[in-house]
Amino acid sequence: MSHEELHGSIPASYPALTFPRQTFVSLLAFAAVWEILSHLAPVLGIPPFAIPSLVRIAKSIATITPIDIAVTLARVMAALVASFVLGLALAMAMYRSEPLEKYLHPLIRILMAVPVVSWILFAVLWFPGVEFRIGFVLFVVCGPVFLVDALDAMRSVPRELRHMIQSFRPTGLQFFLKLMLPAIVPTIFTSWKVNISLAIRVVTIAELVGAVTGIGHQLSVAQELFSVADVFAWTIVLVALLFLLEAIVAQIEARLLRWRP
Amino acid sequence: MNAASTPMNGPPPIAVRGLRKVFRQTTTGQSVVAIDRLDLNIAPREVVAIVGQTGCGKSTFFDMMIGLETPTEGSIHIGDKTPYADFDHFRGKIATVFQQDRLLPWRSALDNAKLPLELIGLPEDVQRERALTWLNRLGLGNFTNAYPHELSGGMRQRVAIARAFSVQPDIMLADEAFGHLDEVTAAELRDTFLALARESGSTAILITHQLEEAIGVGDRIVVFGKSAKLLADIHVAQWPKSQYAVLREAIQFTLQNNVPDPRLAQG
Repeated sequence: MSHEELHGSIPASYPALTFPRQTFVSLLAFAAVWEILSHLAPVLGIPPFAIPSLVRIAKSIATITPIDIAVTLARVMAALVASFVLGLALAMAMYRSEPLEKYLHPLIRILMAVPVVSWILFAVLWFPGVEFRIGFVLFVVCGPVFLVDALDAMRSVPRELRHMIQSFRPTGLQFFLKLMLPAIVPTIFTSWKVNISLAIRVVTIAELVGAVTGIGHQLSVAQELFSVADVFAWTIVLVALLFLLEAIVAQIEARLLRWRP
Repeated sequence: MNAASTPMNGPPPIAVRGLRKVFRQTTTGQSVVAIDRLDLNIAPREVVAIVGQTGCGKSTFFDMMIGLETPTEGSIHIGDKTPYADFDHFRGKIATVFQQDRLLPWRSALDNAKLPLELIGLPEDVQRERALTWLNRLGLGNFTNAYPHELSGGMRQRVAIARAFSVQPDIMLADEAFGHLDEVTAAELRDTFLALARESGSTAILITHQLEEAIGVGDRIVVFGKSAKLLADIHVAQWPKSQYAVLREAIQFTLQNNVPDPRLAQG
């Protein structure tokens, strides 16, 4: 048997974080147009504060407090981890128990249909603690996504593979650890990418209500001060944070899924 | 015989008594008899080929042997246990090679071969050593770290065979295990499989629809008619090789007409 029989090869390295030239050019063009508009604003009848110059935005970025970024990031990650663990556990239970699946599925569909704003209002009315409110909102928004994605992925595991492993008579736990969990890893990564994006947006709204720390709170302060530059600066931070988290997930995904052709 | 690859106390006999399996179709609600009152004995270390046309209940019988289905009536006893009710008892005692390799794509060849050893909870070093031994015996010593998509169909099936033998099973089942491969590869793998099965002292049951394969491998050929009715039970050793063509024709006739060919009575 020779190496010629091999059909492919394992990638030698993982994809690096890239910043394509086209992206750089388009961002530069946007910045140039923004700067021109900021200078033309008085001529166009637009209040000067509405389109601050890049220098003014840079000054706002320089005053950004890392603690608020850390707090928001911690809230997002804690909620995502809790949502993931509980969503996955419930998905496994629903996969094992058809009656449980039949009773819970309609409730989860309803949960997913409730607008985020409604959850924020419920949280404010139901819970006194700010942290719990924010965690609750993130959990009810992200948890069902993890659950539904994981359950669908488990149901999609080929019958042939399920029969193969069952023929070796695994325990219930082994069945999940050796087959189901590895099989749904690609879907889990997709869920994480979707939920990171969702959580970053939702946490900002949740922090607007009652929080005294975090990016959402700082956006609220900027709005009260009519500071578009500060809003812009914090928005840049949010987008950068989202891209950074997605890039980290993509790196882990490439490493764990290196077996894929 | 390699002591490391021999079941400790030898495989127990298999006794099938009045086995019946009825499925209810979900769309029409009608009952379909897949197996109808099957009686069959298989002695320890026998190599039995089961042949039958599509829909004759071979796969249902196979699923009951591996514990995925339970009979509607009757029983399968392996020793004094049943493979479906005493599910945990047979962990590591029954192994299977399927029609497709059914390797886990995220595991290397070595990790695929180790899978059943992980399930029976052997120490990591024993798992690795035993899986490597079987991969080497199957000629895959240089490909232990390859993922399934990097291997040819024949190589993947070799990994599947190594995976099955690695648990040193009492009973080895093969469900059309070589039917999807090209003729040369299939013949080569079939010979390897048989040699390993005989050497390891396992009882081997091969399900096939290829008569040449059945005649070539089995101590016995069990011919299933529709609803797994036992049409013929042929002891191949009683047929001289010069009569194999007649044997093949007689089995063919039996399968086509769902009645035993009188020529099979000579066995």
